[in-house]
Amino acid sequence: MKEIIRITVGLTVSCLIAALLMGSVFIVTDKAKKHNEHVNIQRAMLGLLGYTRGHPAPPDLRLYTMYRYIIEDGAIRTLGYMLPVVKGEHGGYQLVVIDLDGQFVNRFKLNITPEKVSEASERASAIKAVLKPPKTFVYSDSTIVAKLGQKRLAYLLPGKFPGFKTFIDVMLAIDPSFKIIGLEIMEQEEDPGLGAEINQDYFKNQFKEKSFEKIKKINVTKEPLPEEYKKYLETKKGRDFPLPKGVVDTIRSKYQDKDIYALTGATISSQAVTNGVKNMIRKFAYRINRLDSVISRQHIPVAF
Amino acid sequence: MPATTKTNFQLVSNGILNDNPIFRLALSMCPAVGISTTVMNGIMLGIAVLFVQVFSSCTIALIKDHIHPRIRIPTYTLTIATWVTVIDLVLAAYMPAAYKEMGIFVKLIVAFAIITMRLEVFACKNSVPASFWDGIGMGLGFMAGMVAIGFVRELLGMGTILGYDVLGFRPLLFFVLPAAGFFCVGIMMAMFNYMELVYNRKKKG
Repeated sequence: MKEIIRITVGLTVSCLIAALLMGSVFIVTDKAKKHNEHVNIQRAMLGLLGYTRGHPAPPDLRLYTMYRYIIEDGAIRTLGYMLPVVKGEHGGYQLVVIDLDGQFVNRFKLNITPEKVSEASERASAIKAVLKPPKTFVYSDSTIVAKLGQKRLAYLLPGKFPGFKTFIDVMLAIDPSFKIIGLEIMEQEEDPGLGAEINQDYFKNQFKEKSFEKIKKINVTKEPLPEEYKKYLETKKGRDFPLPKGVVDTIRSKYQDKDIYALTGATISSQAVTNGVKNMIRKFAYRINRLDSVISRQHIPVAF
Repeated sequence: MPATTKTNFQLVSNGILNDNPIFRLALSMCPAVGISTTVMNGIMLGIAVLFVQVFSSCTIALIKDHIHPRIRIPTYTLTIATWVTVIDLVLAAYMPAAYKEMGIFVKLIVAFAIITMRLEVFACKNSVPASFWDGIGMGLGFMAGMVAIGFVRELLGMGTILGYDVLGFRPLLFFVLPAAGFFCVGIMMAMFNYMELVYNRKKKG
């Protein structure tokens, strides 16, 4: 009996010490970690829009995030868009509820400051305050609208879809006509040397400048990637040019409407990314069109 | 096993040669097979294991007199998990560039047999300095093994070394797949044993 108690006490004490250690390290480092993640995403977004350290973003570039929630009231399902609005000198947020047919239902003013809006729990409590109790809501996704001066420059869509092994986390930039500006792979765990090659410029840059019409019915082709196209895809802006200037434009127009060339030995990963991107853009185009018509009909003073 | 009488140098070389974690002890084979597709992966995982092994060994050597013998294995696991979490959090917070490369490898380490085994066999019976050098040796031995396998697999599977194209073509795509890891480890283990045989014969003759 004495032995059992000693073992129990020993285990409990060592667990407590370990928990205490890990907890205190977590508290100390959490802020810096979140900051790093934020910086990382910010850099990826600006990179997709073509702004790098050598070519910084202009000061009137603004990034606005809107959050989409699915609201359930018994069997009735509606969509709630949390939108940044302009009101007075301080911006605010409003929850615009739209039914599944794209008709306006209701809108609420949310009590949340722009500093706190990136915290999921802060958003949830702000929405909870305006929705009546039987209604429940779940977070669905978010979209970042990049605005340069008075006009919309691009939409940035964070997305996630199943790859060959686990989920592939991407960030997609498209312009207001839904043409792809760029694709960035944020996180993936595909096979190194095979599926992991989706991270290479010669794969992800193939999506660049594909039009909405093309993307809607894009496919994967198993033909080998032509050498001149590969060279073109791997050319970075501002770096030394391996291709003559006139050739660049011919290659671009030649391959603009081609399908995506699959990676050698990783057809499934290539297909997963292609279909994922295709679905993301199709769904987004449908949603934003409906949202925009509601916004203009209801005269909602959105910031973007 | 009584406390070790080996010198620090012998402890380190023991981890790299006589008791090489991959080729002699055949421990932690899952990562050796799964991750060792490139030289860079080998180096990254090697560094991660080196740190966790050294920190855990020192911790256990320090508190060995206070661990109840019945609960030593849970304590080892706890120690490793704590260090892995601490390293992971600190890297993510203060070294984001390193974390981007090493993050996934650090998280893998909790389940590594080699670290638990060194704590059980060595650290719980020896002083802190001896455990430190043993940890260094084991970490370096593991890294050497991973790099050797990674070298073969990257060269044959992708035609590159450290990401640089050296062959210009891919000789055997098969070597990137997990199954080829077993072939590589097996063949290298045989070579390791053969070299030892030759060495011992020469020493005698």
